[in-house]
Parts: sequence; C-alpha cells; structure tokens
Amino acid sequence: MRQKVLAANATAAQALRDAFHAAGTLVVNLISSPGSGKTTLLEATARALKERFRLGGLDGDIATERDADRLRRAGIPARQILTGGACHLDARQIEKALAEEGERLSGLDLLFIENVGNLICPTSYDLGEDFKVALLSVVEGDDKPFKYPAIFSRAAVTLITKSDLLPHVDFDLGAVRWQVAALNPSGRFLVASARSGEGMDSWFALLEEEIRRKRAASPPGAGIGPDSSNPANW
Amino acid sequence: MGLVAEILQIARRTAADHGGGPLESVTVFVGDLAAVEPDLLEFAWQTLVGESADAGARLIVEWRPARQHCAACGEIPERAAGSWLRLCPRCDGPLAVTGGDELEVRTVAFSGTPSPAEVEQ
Repeated sequence: MRQKVLAANATAAQALRDAFHAAGTLVVNLISSPGSGKTTLLEATARALKERFRLGGLDGDIATERDADRLRRAGIPARQILTGGACHLDARQIEKALAEEGERLSGLDLLFIENVGNLICPTSYDLGEDFKVALLSVVEGDDKPFKYPAIFSRAAVTLITKSDLLPHVDFDLGAVRWQVAALNPSGRFLVASARSGEGMDSWFALLEEEIRRKRAASPPGAGIGPDSSNPANW
Repeated sequence: MGLVAEILQIARRTAADHGGGPLESVTVFVGDLAAVEPDLLEFAWQTLVGESADAGARLIVEWRPARQHCAACGEIPERAAGSWLRLCPRCDGPLAVTGGDELEVRTVAFSGTPSPAEVEQ
C-alpha cells in the first residue's frame, strides 16, 4: 500500500487551491523562524500596494492577535488564526477562517498567509498556496539553508530580511546565496529591508508580476460575482 | 501526536477493509525532508496504542533520504547523510534536490481469523 499520512490535509489544500484559482486570488505562504520580520514585511507591503490591489492577510500564531492587528492598522483586512499549540497552520484551519471571515477576505488579488514562526513544521502542510516564501534575517546565521533544507528547497522565493543590519553582523550573503542555489536552482533570491526600504521594490515587483500571472491564468469572470474562493460559497 | 493518530487510523481502516483484527505492525516511510523525527514518532505511537486493542503493535519507520541530482551526471552517491553538496563533484554543474518528501504508510500487518495476514502492494 502507499497511503500518505497527510492525505487529509492534501485533499483540503487542493480544494482551497481550486477555489483560489476560480477567484483569481494569488496566495502566498510566508514561512520563517520567529522574529525574521514576516509581519513587518507585510505591513510595508500593505502600505505600498493596497491602493492598487485588493490585499488580505491570515496570520497563524499560538497566542495573541497582535499580527492580525498590525496588518489591519496597515490598512488591509486580516484575521488571526490561533492554532491551539500546533507549530504550523493546516488547510482546514485556512478553510474555516475564510468561511468565518466571509466577504472581508474574499475576492482578493493577493492573500498573504503568515505561517506560525517555525522553519520546520509548516513546510510539510500545503495550504493551497501558489508559492511559499522563506524568510531568513541577517541576524540568524548564514548556515541556515543547509541546516533547514526542506523549506529552502521548496520555497519558490527566499527573502533575506533586515539587510540594513548587514554592516553589524558576520553574515556571509554569498554563502547563503549558494546554499539556497544548491538546494533550489530555480528559486528566486531577494535581499531587502522593510525598515530602510532597500530591496523592497524587487519584492513588490515580484508580487505584481505574480498577481498578473495569476489573473491571466484564471477563468474569465474571476473576481466578479459570488466569490468561489470563499468556502462559505462552496 | 496528530501524525501517529492519522497513521493509526489509516492502519485500522486498512485492516478492517481486509477483514482483519488487531494490528501487529505498521511500516511507514519517512523522508529526510518530511520534518519528522523517527524516534519521536515511535514514542508517540507507543503512547497512542498503549492501552488500546492494538497494544503491542509495532511502528516500523524506514528512512528515505533526499538525494541531490545533477542534470548531466545523474544522482550523486557521494553525499553523506545530513550534508549537502554545493555543486556536482564531477562536472561542477548545479544540483537539484529530489525525494525525501515521503510520509506514507506502506505496510499494515494484522492478525486475522484464523491466520495472520499481511497487506502489501
């Protein structure tokens, strides 16, 4: 026999993926250790892009609603998912959160899923996303890609954050770049600082490119009429 | 614990589908990149089956390494487990990671009436 242990999650994730496709919503799953700057990145992204695109966020954490609050203050609809101690989000939690949120998080151009701060567990749980982004900040050590091969080999984008701190740390950016290249030859590699703004244009450009690509690939009429990306409408 | 609960459910369903009784052993493949520690999995399994009808059923974990692969030279055998090569040692070409994703139930052994039966495909 050959029965995948995570088959139930995979099935739920595929249902989400199909619904997001029908609605033309680009979904990005952000994964990193705690404190790498996911929420700060999303705040800056929200402020920069919210006038041009309909953005929304789902935030996973074990405790507190802080991250969703920060995204709402940055001007985009957001919902916190409390995982009850689990170290990762799973597809059923995403489905439930979107169904409960209803109109507020439907018909989006781009839905960010900010996963629980953890470089290991979230990697195995498909959430129906278009791609994963792995964040690694310059204060976390430059040996991390080879130490955490699963996430860096599977994330279509690796984003090195807090680049404004490079002068103050021994972080060999070149070494990180080739480790990621060894694990993921076709992945994109970006370096940015949400605080200083350095490199953020490339990140925004990547998102815009992917939003347009998603729209082009979606069925005609996606985003118009009753929103099929919302599980409440299934 | 969630993972072993899923494994147990899959195993019990498989045994039931084949008219079987208590579980004797379940073999799972666990990949290098599956973010699962085999020892912890076995410990969680023992805790879960401990007092149940399947107490005594063993969980056998078979490790499946991820491999690095060169488009020109093929699979790289020299890689030591837990280490990663930057470039192909033969041609200096880029490498891709394959496999290591496995997290699947492969064999369920259970006792049936009148004799033990094993399901393996």
